[in-house]
Amino acid sequence: MSALASWRLALRLARRDAMRHRGRSVLVLVMIALPVLAVTAADVVIATQEVSGVESLDRRLGAADALVEVPAGGAPMLQAFDPYDGSTSADGVPADHEPPAAAEVSDVLGGVRLLERRQGDVYLRTDDGVAYVWATEVDLRDPLTRGLFDLGSGRWPADSSEVVVNREVRDQGYAVGDRLDLVGDDAPAPIVVGIAESTTSRTMPVVAGPIGSLGIEPSEWSGPAWLAAGGDVSWAEVEELNALGATALSRAVLADPPPDSEAPEEIRAWSSGTDDAMVAAIVLIVVMALLEVVLLAGPAFAVTARRQARTLALMASAGGTPAQSRRAIIGGGVVLGTVAALLGVALGIGAGRLLVPVVQHWSGEWFGPFDVPWLHLLGIALFGLVSAVLASVVPAWIASRQDVVAVLSGRRADTRPSLRSPILGVVLIGVGVAGSAYGATSGSSGEFAIAASAVVAVLGMILLVPVVVAGVARLAGRLPLSPRYAARDAARHRTRTVPAVAAVAATVAGVVALGIAVTSDEAENEGTYQAMLPMGDGAVTAYDLTPPQWRDLHGAVAAKVPDADVVLVDGLVESTSMAEPDARSYYLETRAPGVPRHQPLLSMMATTFGSSVLVDDDMPEIVRGVSDAGRRRGDAALAEGRVVVFTDRPVDADRVVLRPSWSTMDDSGNLPRATVPATYVPIDRSEASASLVIPPAVIDRLDLPHAPVALAVSGGRITPEQEEAVTEAVQAVTNDGGFYVERGYQADDETVIVQLVLAGLGGVLMLGGTLTATFLALSDARPDLATLSAVGASPRRRRWIAASYALVIGVVGAVLGAAVGFIPGIAVTYPLTRGWDPEVEAHYLDVPWLMILGVVVALPLVTAALVALFARSRLPLVARVD
Amino acid sequence: MSAVLRMAEVTRVHGEGATEVHALRSVSFAAHPGELVAVMGPSGSGKSTLLTLAGGLDGPTSGVVSVEGVDLAGVGAAGRARMRRTSIGYVFQDFNLIPALTAVENVALPLELDGVRSRTARAGARAALEEVGIADLADRFPDHMSGGQQQRVAIARAVVGDRRLILADEPTGALDSETGESILRLLRARCDAGAAGVLVTHEARHAAWADRVVFLRDGVVIDETGADHADALLDAGRIR
Ligand SMILES: Nc1ncnc2c1ncn2[C@@H]1O[C@H](COP(=O)(O)OP(=O)(O)O)[C@@H](O)[C@H]1O
Ligand SMILES: [Mg+2]
Repeated sequence: MSALASWRLALRLARRDAMRHRGRSVLVLVMIALPVLAVTAADVVIATQEVSGVESLDRRLGAADALVEVPAGGAPMLQAFDPYDGSTSADGVPADHEPPAAAEVSDVLGGVRLLERRQGDVYLRTDDGVAYVWATEVDLRDPLTRGLFDLGSGRWPADSSEVVVNREVRDQGYAVGDRLDLVGDDAPAPIVVGIAESTTSRTMPVVAGPIGSLGIEPSEWSGPAWLAAGGDVSWAEVEELNALGATALSRAVLADPPPDSEAPEEIRAWSSGTDDAMVAAIVLIVVMALLEVVLLAGPAFAVTARRQARTLALMASAGGTPAQSRRAIIGGGVVLGTVAALLGVALGIGAGRLLVPVVQHWSGEWFGPFDVPWLHLLGIALFGLVSAVLASVVPAWIASRQDVVAVLSGRRADTRPSLRSPILGVVLIGVGVAGSAYGATSGSSGEFAIAASAVVAVLGMILLVPVVVAGVARLAGRLPLSPRYAARDAARHRTRTVPAVAAVAATVAGVVALGIAVTSDEAENEGTYQAMLPMGDGAVTAYDLTPPQWRDLHGAVAAKVPDADVVLVDGLVESTSMAEPDARSYYLETRAPGVPRHQPLLSMMATTFGSSVLVDDDMPEIVRGVSDAGRRRGDAALAEGRVVVFTDRPVDADRVVLRPSWSTMDDSGNLPRATVPATYVPIDRSEASASLVIPPAVIDRLDLPHAPVALAVSGGRITPEQEEAVTEAVQAVTNDGGFYVERGYQADDETVIVQLVLAGLGGVLMLGGTLTATFLALSDARPDLATLSAVGASPRRRRWIAASYALVIGVVGAVLGAAVGFIPGIAVTYPLTRGWDPEVEAHYLDVPWLMILGVVVALPLVTAALVALFARSRLPLVARVD
Repeated sequence: MSAVLRMAEVTRVHGEGATEVHALRSVSFAAHPGELVAVMGPSGSGKSTLLTLAGGLDGPTSGVVSVEGVDLAGVGAAGRARMRRTSIGYVFQDFNLIPALTAVENVALPLELDGVRSRTARAGARAALEEVGIADLADRFPDHMSGGQQQRVAIARAVVGDRRLILADEPTGALDSETGESILRLLRARCDAGAAGVLVTHEARHAAWADRVVFLRDGVVIDETGADHADALLDAGRIR
């Protein structure tokens, strides 16, 4: 018989067998189709949500052929085919280069018409304070803009005194006919004439009107931009524009991109930077998922193989070859895998279709049209097929080598386990431990080494499962009847039991490893947390307030927190508002005479009150980490007109060298240095919030500007309500400020959620593995159950046996998995919690015992209870068995 | 002496309509303490059905089955299960031992299922194994025993805990004749010790071990030989 014909026969037999044993077939279908379905649905949603280059053109270009922008003040540019995928200014910017004007751009493109577009953000006063709104200035009546916005009601703006807003802005209190109250001294006040939605953003507040309607000035970073109409813009033209200092998003280039080699090399190198790690991670995930699915589907094939054992033995005694025996089983994998893959993909597309609106609801961006990525889905379907075939391989192999005589004489057990595989298993676990240790101690790519060795360790563990299951059976002699029967029966039918136990173990290993990683990461966060202020104290900072505004704010804040001290903090102006590019900010470098320059006086400091240089006549209360004696010395020094310098190293000096410098957005300079009398006061660096205190007379003499920089709120535990009220008061006068309240370390909700999700996922997979094995075991155990009934077992006994079975599989799997999960779990905490400072030996390990206990003890018990609850309590009759 | 097993006008119909099969028709039958009754008949005559009804594994369509004076229909499924643990012992043609349990554990099953403490149950099981002559095999698994040894274990399981009714459905069917004889000798000895036995067989020479033979055909008792011959014939013939 040719191989092909033999395969055809095997497939036909498999199809018939699958039809005959519906229960088992459905089980395999579910095990494989479910993951295929889930991944397909996710893939469809992701593809739909992703607005790929061509799909996004209309919402970015409207009806234009290209969007030309000058992003870097006219410096020559390099760009990817889509400038949003990457663009950078080229080296060697000519100093006197002027940004290109509209006429030049139009010339390059052959004299096409250009429509100017400006974008930026504006601040809008609303009922609750001030809101940030994304603003676009462009003539919306121009047909070129069709597709940028959808007009819902009202009309398009006709001149620069009119705008449209989206629903989000309308919901903040503006209706058609209202005048927009924009923040800014000479901001325009346009009238809302329509409600229009951006075709890109769904939830962000958006406003749009003609040029001039919103007061957006082109700046160096967001220079002028034009929509161009008048025919395709070629890649050559784009490059020409790049040379001029502009980038271009061309419809024609994106729709039909030139070969990759045409893109500038710098940009190409950029976009492919992280691919390796990404691919490795994906390979790892796919391997683990494949393993899990194979293990979950494995038991069903094991049972199929054993049910066919007699047929295969007869075949063998009639001269059949082992290969033919194998094909008979693997044929089942092919048939069921194909059906499951097709079913999973089809249902997954449907599920994705249903999910899209749900996910859209949570997303701030509009999705593209419904998208089915067929190439991906082909891969996913193949994954399903391969996992089914793989799941049938081991049972097929065992079936092809079975002891013909034993089978024909009716013995039901599997053959003894070989010794070779557990030894290999131990070796693999050893390799996993070594790899994890290597990953823990090595530098950069440690996580990947650990993840890879985790897979190796799990594979090793799977090879150990048969020995462990046999050992448990040997120890079962003292157990009550039901667990004793379950443990022994599980060991007798290893091909069925081992994959189920391994599936549970692999799941638990993953859950435990990730759990340790997440919890340790959280422990690091908590351990390295540095309080900026005493508990419950707060600080208001802002960068653009005048002294009178600060005084007003002082009053307002004091009124909101009546039982706290509110102090206006004076300091060197170290930061200025981004809104005032010409305002100078100052920096003061300090050095003790005789202390080398590379040894800073203070190795660590956090600026809490807007400036690291405070100006005061005596030691400000808000400075922490100073002893009472130090505080007294500081007060005395300041009274004498000396500068107080905080330090965390021993300094023997009575003067300090001050080197002031200043800078604006685009200029900087040094000021004359000065050496002044100083007193060095020791400070605890972890609490340091300032580096020096200068008396007002001294800073005036140095001719350095000082001003209010912050409000310190202390002494009265700030409640969350007060925090909210103060924040609102701050936002009412500035949008460049904030209110920080020290609440200590705030445990991330996410950690708990991640733990719950992990435990939940573990629970589902464990339930899946346990239920499969239990269901199959019960159907296998029919003769035994019938016998039990005949010797007087009550019908309830079936439930006990089912629950015991689930318990054996769950506990053995969970214990093994937890043990193996500790290896990568502990290893990964080393690279994960190493910290940023290579000098500091940092490592945090926190094992989530409660979660592990839950997974190892509670979950198997719950699973067993569920099985006991839902198992049929009816014993089969002997008469019906044969 | 009162009968351990009494079946009165028992009918069992499988299926309905066109596929209706009368496995037993109005059969009356009794087995007394110390008595081994052989039931004979061709294949399909209803022998096994009679035993499943006697053991409470199946219920009659009409008629009454009582064991030690208890109407099996009146005690519910749990009650019947308890009867099988304490009063009725079963022996099957293909032994029906549980392969995951050792010989002594198989024998201890009825006791353990009845809530007897594990240690006590095993002691009782060992005694029963001793009685059937294979005490040395107590810790073997069935897969590692010969057919005759397995059937001895099955008999030990059927008698353990002093059960007074032993139902054996072709217990020698899967054994060679010599081994079969020894099994029947064990059954006979058990009945001589006071139990009532019902032995289904289709081999006439096995019937020689019995005190009395009941012949079935198409679900009807057609003849009866032995001690209470006349009575039994009268019983069987009184059709209402
Ligand atoms: N569960 C059942 N369903 C339908 N018919 C049955 C069932 N059990 C037995 N029978 C039928 O009842 C008759 C008696 O069967 P059985 O008691 O097994 O006979 P024996 O043991 O004497 O060979 C046969 O015709 C058989 O086909
Ligand atoms: Mg029969």
